[in-house]
Amino acid sequence: MFDRAIHVLRLRWRSLVRHREVEGELADEIAYHLAEEADLRAARGAAPGQARHAALRAFGGVDRAKEDCREARGTILVESVAKDLRYGARSLLRQPAYAVPAVLTLALGIGATTAVFALVDGILVSRLPYPSPERLVTANVVYPGGGLDAARHALSTMDVAAYADGHVFTLAGDGQAVRVSGAKVSAELFAVLGVAPAIGRAFHAGEDQAPRDGVVLLSDALWRSRYGGDRDVIGRSIVVDGRSREVVGVLPASVDLPSRRTQLWVPLSLDPAATVPYWAGDFMPIVARLRPGVTAARAQAELRLFQRDVRRLFPWTMPDEWNRDPVVVPLQTALVGGVASRLALLSAAVLVVLIITCANVANLSLSRAATREREIGIRTAIGGTPRRVARQLLTEHVLLAGVGAACGFALAWPLLALLIRTLPPETPRLGAVALDWRALVFSAVLALLTGAAFGLAPVAHTLRLQLRAVLDSGGRSGSGGATGRVRRLLAVSQIAGAALLVISAGLLVRSLWALARVDPGFRTSGLVAARLTVDDVHCGEAARCLAFYRTLEDRLRAVPGVRDAALVNVLPLTGGLTKRSIELEGYVVPVGKSAPLVRLTIATPDYGRVAGLQVLAGRGFADRDRAGEGVVQVSAATARRFWPGRPAVGQHLRFVGETRWRRVIGVVGDVRAHTLTLDEPDWIDGTVYMPHAIDAVLEDGRPPAEMIAVLETTQAAAAVDGHLQRLARESSGLVVDDVRGLDSVLAAATAAPAATTSVLVATALLALTLGSLGVYAVLSFLVSRRTHEFGIRVALGALPRDVRWLVVREGAVLCAAGLGAGVIGALGLTRWLATELHGVSPFDPLTYLAVVATMTLVTLLACLVPTRRAMRIDPLIVLRDA
Amino acid sequence: MSRPPDLVQGTLDLLLLKILALEPLNGHAIGQRLQQVSGEVLRVSDGSLYPALHKLEQEGWLVATWKVTEKNRRAKYYALSRAGRTRLVKETESWTRLSAAITQVVQLTRA
Repeated sequence: MFDRAIHVLRLRWRSLVRHREVEGELADEIAYHLAEEADLRAARGAAPGQARHAALRAFGGVDRAKEDCREARGTILVESVAKDLRYGARSLLRQPAYAVPAVLTLALGIGATTAVFALVDGILVSRLPYPSPERLVTANVVYPGGGLDAARHALSTMDVAAYADGHVFTLAGDGQAVRVSGAKVSAELFAVLGVAPAIGRAFHAGEDQAPRDGVVLLSDALWRSRYGGDRDVIGRSIVVDGRSREVVGVLPASVDLPSRRTQLWVPLSLDPAATVPYWAGDFMPIVARLRPGVTAARAQAELRLFQRDVRRLFPWTMPDEWNRDPVVVPLQTALVGGVASRLALLSAAVLVVLIITCANVANLSLSRAATREREIGIRTAIGGTPRRVARQLLTEHVLLAGVGAACGFALAWPLLALLIRTLPPETPRLGAVALDWRALVFSAVLALLTGAAFGLAPVAHTLRLQLRAVLDSGGRSGSGGATGRVRRLLAVSQIAGAALLVISAGLLVRSLWALARVDPGFRTSGLVAARLTVDDVHCGEAARCLAFYRTLEDRLRAVPGVRDAALVNVLPLTGGLTKRSIELEGYVVPVGKSAPLVRLTIATPDYGRVAGLQVLAGRGFADRDRAGEGVVQVSAATARRFWPGRPAVGQHLRFVGETRWRRVIGVVGDVRAHTLTLDEPDWIDGTVYMPHAIDAVLEDGRPPAEMIAVLETTQAAAAVDGHLQRLARESSGLVVDDVRGLDSVLAAATAAPAATTSVLVATALLALTLGSLGVYAVLSFLVSRRTHEFGIRVALGALPRDVRWLVVREGAVLCAAGLGAGVIGALGLTRWLATELHGVSPFDPLTYLAVVATMTLVTLLACLVPTRRAMRIDPLIVLRDA
Repeated sequence: MSRPPDLVQGTLDLLLLKILALEPLNGHAIGQRLQQVSGEVLRVSDGSLYPALHKLEQEGWLVATWKVTEKNRRAKYYALSRAGRTRLVKETESWTRLSAAITQVVQLTRA
């Protein structure tokens, strides 16, 4: 038997693959027959021409015979499947009340799962767009230029590059000056990544040493938008932050390091002679390519040794915490580290939805299988083998799942677009996300799996059915039995899954609610911020720069609709930070620590009033503080930390590298400057405010050329933008951009958790809808099955409320069991949510109670219609029909 | 599939298997043999012979090979496979049973 199967398969294969050859053989065979027959007739005395005609006549239609042979050929197997499919399609079309909700449910479940798959696949799984991406690594270390130079020479296990992100450059020349995001990178970065520019060249080794750094690389987007995709841009000089640089190349669009927003790359400008910027400038993360044969573990061991040595090269003592315990990790892992947990959350959520979907469709199928008991009974009775009937049913379900998956795949496009739009734009690797053939294969596999999963219950039911005398029972089999148990179990699991998701979503909503109500410590309503950048001509020298800004302040106040105006160097919650090391009066730096590092906020005296900062002690800045004795304010946390139990007002502090002590004149309320949950990053020890004055300089001794205008106005940001752009056109050397309301700055700070929350809320609502539909379907079915029984009960004197109780009890048991399982599941699983939660415990009783109450209400609502149907049962009709 | 009207479905298959059990033959020779042995009672048009042969081949009861005849023509020869032999035994048994039953029924009616 086995060799026959192989033989048959080989024939099928051959007729599928070697179609032409098989056709040729068929023609040969018939030609041989006709020739032989003609010979025979000629031998019996027919004339040669007539013999051939006679042979053809005797054969009948040659083409017809060929067609019959073709039909006999490969179609035997295919045909029976096709027959099953045709039959399945017909029977599905006959029952749209079953097929339409089933397909819709499946489309939703498979569509959502496929969209999330594409997202996870693009962000976490697909490889970085660089050659041998598995050899690209990074580590949890940051080095200034001097440290990078040392690493380049010392490390033998890997080729190291570094980049400083978060720079915004003013791009001038070629029309209106604009501000573009850019990065300062070491010359080897693109060699390490293995990226060749689309046109031109990358940086040469040594071009990151001053003064050879007068070169720049453009992003594909910038090249197209500002330079019209002109290849002649190579070799041209453009003005970046007031300095002329030669464009040497354009990078391909796939390069998104440090981020997707990066528009241009300039080399670092390393100069060992300039001690402070060389050893204390940008502390940069590194990217490295492991050399052949080197493992990440070996590279890590070498990096740890190097870390010990490099400390000694610094002209001052570095704090112990700096680069403590370097760990080398794959670049891909590091890039997506932040979103991996959120994506896992999302995947888990859609998986639950998918399970609910399967349970729902399984329930629908079971109801349908029940109404088809007669049909199947008849088919069995007239000779359909159980296997044949089961195959027919399974084919039907896979067909249904296939249609559902096709609709789901179509649905996945808008869903994925929506997901991408919901996610914060800085989400890493969003560019790699697409619905490709992998997603298609995924949804096809899902179709097969779900089809088998929800088809299993009805098929098992049917197989069992054949052991019973269905036809005898008149198509009624009561409410009990194994099927009833399976159906209840399915409904319970649906409610449980939905409860789990709704509780998770509820917790996230509570957390977002708490986050949105966090007092950021500054005013956000009625304020519009704008970034002002002044070029080197006007801001190269401190006195001139200050004068320029003083005039600008007055002109800003004169802008129509602006009631008040202030300037500040960095706006809270925007990711920026100006750091300075300080010494404090009466504070001794512990051994092994370096001087405290603080956030320096340089602001005009009006800033405190305009931004609504709280003065907790002492006084705010006044105009006279811009000159004369140096004064500062500190934040409440800073005062507590360095002068605990003592009044901070009247104490003195000094910036490292300066000789002048400055007096603390006030203590300002803490501001959520870093994130909404964290005032400052953990490596910052405090916050110091100083007036925008002649001696208000940055770490490099230069005055801040970029300031943020904070304007008190009733106008919308767009209107203010219009006025400001006019102002910028009238004053040379000024660029105004990034004009937005402070409320939108605050909103942006909650964007990432809001995205996670809204996606999870959507899946939870979907789950809840499907789950209550499931309860409704089960109860409707049970009522229809027990119509006879209820009729008899009513005939024997049961009141409508007794019948109602029978149905409601059934629903209440399902609901209680499902909710119980869901709550237990949530108690066990929501701890994984803890990292996403702020200001609410994963076991928050209020959320649990609210969800249980709401879901009880919803599931009981689902009982309503079946209950009323049961109560309207007319015993006369029931008993007459029986 | 077109079938000779006066042949019970499945009968042609049995006849073909039986004929080929004796020796491998090509299509034309099978047609000749069929006419000979059934003595013109069973009329099968030459054209409808081939679909039947192909179907038996596709189901694995027959194995086909191409040979060159004495007239130097290429012809497709059919032979019974091992599975085909078992099949023939089964078909023969059921045919015998069926025809015996039918004979009985027919005689009963006459009686």
